[in-house]
Amino acid sequence: MAGAIIENMSTKKLVIVGVILLLFQAFSFMVGGLIAPSPTTAIHYMATKCVDNVKSHYMSKKWFMPWGPNHCDKVRDFDEATAKKIEANNIVFAVHIPMPNKEMSPWFQFMLVILQFDIAFKMYNQIEDGAVVTVDVGLAYRDDSLGEWTEMAHSIEQRKLSCNFTTPKTIDNEGRYYECDLMPLMELGCVFHKYYLLNIRLPVSDHKKVNRGIGEIKDIRLVGIHQNGGFTKVWFAMKTFLTPSILIIMIWYWRRITMMSRPPVLLEKVIFALGISMTFINIPVEWFSVGFEWTWMLLFGDIRQGIFYAMLLSFWIIFCGEHLMDQMERNRFSVYWKQVGPIVFGSFCLFIFDMCERGVQLTNPFYSIWASDVGTELAMAFIIVAGICACLYFLFLCFMVFQVFRNISGKRTSLPAMTKARRLHYEGLIFRFKFLMLVTLACAAMTVIFFIISQVNEGHWHWGDYTVQVNSAFFTGIYGMWNLYVFALMFLYAPSHKRYGDEQSSGDQVGNSGEDIQLTTTITHVDGPTEVYKMMRKEAQE
Amino acid sequence: MDASQSLRFILTITLLACSSQRPAHANSWWSLAMNPIQRPEMYIIGAQPLCSQLTGLSQGQRKLCQLYQDHMVYIGEGAKTGIKECQYQFRQRRWNCSTVDNTSVFGRVMQIGSRETAFTYAISAAGVVNAISRACREGELSTCGCSRAARPRDLPRDWLWGGCGDNVNYGYRFAREFVDAREREKNYPRGSTEHARTLMNLQNNEAGRMAVYNLANVACKCHGVSGSCSLKTCWLQLADFRRVGEFLKEKYDSAAAMRIGRRGKLELVNNRFNPPTAEDLAYIDPSPDYCLRNESTGSLGTQGRLCNKTSEGMDGCELMCCGRGYDQFKTYKHERCHCKFHWCCYVKCKRCTSLVDQFVCK
Repeated sequence: MAGAIIENMSTKKLVIVGVILLLFQAFSFMVGGLIAPSPTTAIHYMATKCVDNVKSHYMSKKWFMPWGPNHCDKVRDFDEATAKKIEANNIVFAVHIPMPNKEMSPWFQFMLVILQFDIAFKMYNQIEDGAVVTVDVGLAYRDDSLGEWTEMAHSIEQRKLSCNFTTPKTIDNEGRYYECDLMPLMELGCVFHKYYLLNIRLPVSDHKKVNRGIGEIKDIRLVGIHQNGGFTKVWFAMKTFLTPSILIIMIWYWRRITMMSRPPVLLEKVIFALGISMTFINIPVEWFSVGFEWTWMLLFGDIRQGIFYAMLLSFWIIFCGEHLMDQMERNRFSVYWKQVGPIVFGSFCLFIFDMCERGVQLTNPFYSIWASDVGTELAMAFIIVAGICACLYFLFLCFMVFQVFRNISGKRTSLPAMTKARRLHYEGLIFRFKFLMLVTLACAAMTVIFFIISQVNEGHWHWGDYTVQVNSAFFTGIYGMWNLYVFALMFLYAPSHKRYGDEQSSGDQVGNSGEDIQLTTTITHVDGPTEVYKMMRKEAQE
Repeated sequence: MDASQSLRFILTITLLACSSQRPAHANSWWSLAMNPIQRPEMYIIGAQPLCSQLTGLSQGQRKLCQLYQDHMVYIGEGAKTGIKECQYQFRQRRWNCSTVDNTSVFGRVMQIGSRETAFTYAISAAGVVNAISRACREGELSTCGCSRAARPRDLPRDWLWGGCGDNVNYGYRFAREFVDAREREKNYPRGSTEHARTLMNLQNNEAGRMAVYNLANVACKCHGVSGSCSLKTCWLQLADFRRVGEFLKEKYDSAAAMRIGRRGKLELVNNRFNPPTAEDLAYIDPSPDYCLRNESTGSLGTQGRLCNKTSEGMDGCELMCCGRGYDQFKTYKHERCHCKFHWCCYVKCKRCTSLVDQFVCK
């Protein structure tokens, strides 16, 4: 009978494959660490305070430019505005993205804008508890530096102010700033235009209680975050290279399975599905975002990643289940509903959450689910449910792994008493399981370690003359790693047509078939090698 | 003041009296804070006049002015915020950082390498870093923004490759070039008192700049899949300038007394203390007596200063008036009151008047 390639491979060949994979792994880390710049950049903008002289400001459809030939009437600070008897409703905060003499580019992929207020403490004008800022914000774009601005979005949004004042609230500390949390302002899924302009107003109305008790605002600062063009290029190149690699091994794998005399078993199908979801992530559709204004790319990317994670988690469960060795017939997806259920449900929750946030942002880039109380509760509910599902899943997984190890140790003791074929079968199963267990743990540990490193440190490491971009290395390295994982899985766990111990191969097929049927685990059925198989296997190994 | 200190004090005074003939010290770039600088838009091409009009610039600073004309407004603004903050921090002290005239700004007190001088140099350098970084963020400077580091060569569009926006770094570097230019171009013999003063100024300028840099805190934002933290972007955020002022005030209280060593470097007067780091303030002369008006030291004295009768601190009448006593009188204080405050700007208020007691040093 035949097992997977990994069982029949000589140790030498296995080591060679391992070394090649490790080399690719190191390469993928280096691509990110040495070639690519950091994945994202944050750029500060200080809003210019423009004066809108038109009395009824809701009527004016004018755009206010902070600098340049048609710049607005500016005030440097609000003391100047007070002196000129300008009221709060006539102040427009204008921010031009990017800085002068620069242009945005589709290579930036996305743009996130964060809002920050500088609020000075004043004894008689303090921030009230639970203060909410109402911002009337408009976004416009243009593609040549002298053209007309075209409105992209306009919205009246509310954001909760959470500020604290660390020093005692005495008259002596007047003029110090509150420490305020960052507030998300806007998220664009595609930076298709060259110039963007944000006009922000903070309309005041005493009888409607709009923007009351928000303290004395001194400045508005924005932070624009976008992906670096260089990183995007490296990322695209990597995807473009990985897509055909995974695709080819996938086709090879599936052909090998279909050429067998038996129908594919569940585990083989799951591995194939994992390959498909990996390819789905890999396909570099992002190239289109350079030429088309596809704002849904961010959402699409999230969905693709979600599908892959769900698939990977399901694969681990099914792999464990199929190696349980407890003489139970599984090989059906429905057996695993208990374990796969939480994955599906958790992913679905996250999908709904993502649709509520990024989905709505397709129409209104200023929308944030966290801005309203109901939204916050809803979002928290989704995330908590997803978290519970994740915990449940890991409990199941740990339990299953424990069961497998218990069965393994049980089988170990009875191994010498078995017939040769049966022993080899179990040894193969144990080896396959342990190997994947080891590789998976290594990959997961790498992911976690790199994730922690990228969270703890900010930016890059200097190493002599070289600057290593840790965050970029993390992204390319981990992405490369999971690709290699899927690649190795499809290559090593493809059914082999080499028989156990070629010298006795002629006899055991008939002699042990009765026993084989009892061994209802993954690759139970007998399939004789053909010339085609042999050739293909050689090709694949070379 | 014990005997040895007063002896040293007299020595310093005589030394200063000898050196005070040099007019070069009279002008300072601080004067940019006092005279309004016309915006560079006014001069379109060949803007030579701006830089030659500005008094108080040294040769190197004038060169920098010609290269970076648009920066000058912000240097002036930085100096102004520095001076304002200095006045706030020292509002209750005998020396209250008051400005004297438009050219030398603080007068002759700055010719003494005292603690107060150390603080003034530091806070004004800090003001420049702050103002330049801020102007950078407002997009007002033409040369600011893109860091040239960490990007492969031959890539034409560094904006695309790495992005721009490290403005604190830019502010720090420019302030170092500009503020230190004055000290670096002087060539005093090693070990001379002027050399000691140059070293002191450099130390304090650096301490001021580092204060802004070190107090800038890192803010981060997570923006990965579904808002998870798989992707995190961090940036430096400047602290409120009041905090910089307070930080430097603490450094002022713990400033190190230095003298010029044999090898032409500053060394501690008292070896028991730790040597100052780049973030610490250093001074070489004891402070003059700020109680009485003194033409030769430039001290304005505390006569006519408001004091607090009940306080026992430096702002209390006892200490502030140096035991000379105080006058009491009543004045009307006008205030805006019963306002309906908005987040900014013009609001309608009532005017309230109250009668308050005030105390003034004799």
